[in-house]
Amino acid sequence: MSKRTDIIGRITTNIAAHTNYSISEELPFDSGGIPLYTKNLNTIYVDQQEIAVEELYSTLDQGVVNETTTTINAYLAVDAKNQFSDIDTVVANLLIARNVITGTVESTSDYETEIAEDVITYTFEYNFITV
Amino acid sequence: MAVINVTSGNQAILTLGSNAALAVPGNAGGLVVPFVQDITINATPGTVRYSTLDSTSSSAFTTVNENSVSLNILVDETVMFGDDSGNVNTVIDRGLFRTSTDKTEINFSVLVTGTGTTGDIYIAGKGFIGGLAPTASIDGAVWLSPVELICNGELTQTVES
Repeated sequence: MSKRTDIIGRITTNIAAHTNYSISEELPFDSGGIPLYTKNLNTIYVDQQEIAVEELYSTLDQGVVNETTTTINAYLAVDAKNQFSDIDTVVANLLIARNVITGTVESTSDYETEIAEDVITYTFEYNFITV
Repeated sequence: MAVINVTSGNQAILTLGSNAALAVPGNAGGLVVPFVQDITINATPGTVRYSTLDSTSSSAFTTVNENSVSLNILVDETVMFGDDSGNVNTVIDRGLFRTSTDKTEINFSVLVTGTGTTGDIYIAGKGFIGGLAPTASIDGAVWLSPVELICNGELTQTVES
């Protein structure tokens, strides 16, 4: 099971009590070059995971221990003027969804916001480093 | 003249054995220590310095050599803790950790060049395993440990024939 699938599963659980929001597993999530999350407000979209592999240790007998960094972005757009009262809780739940991924050296999540035409877009980034 | 490139994976190989023959590079019964990050051969003559009234600089004479081999490894479970197979090479049987705590003298060789074939140079000696300090951290992700081979006697340089 991919980390993206795990994240989607945990987000689904975490927002189950927040009925104003939903999550889509759809890929890709754009229509005519326009991201669907800007059309479907309050719906969370999770992008395909990106993976980078770097050498953590190398040894004289050509042994190599690699570390793998998996990055997943998620998007949520809401009406900037009429946000639901539980938006902060939902955002917090999205951030802690990273805890579903275990066996990591490092696990981080953060988000940025951008406002355009009365829509505020939350862009979440999850990073997982495994060895 | 040429520098010795160690990136091919068949130089700087440490082989351990419970006797000198087992520790010769290429001996199938030897324990080749895997996952060595770096290795240092210390061949150091002991010295005593003294001063005399007729000289503006100090003089020295040598005493005994103090030799050792130090390295850092990623810990391999079988090599560190042994396979308890009853192998005639007791370093394989007992592993580095118990060979160290047992204070068992072992033989070793460090292959400097090549793969243990004709013309290749290796340094050999005997001594005790010390300096084990396995360390684990979440950042490091794997167990790491320094190792020191404290030599009992002289190091010898051998050219494979």
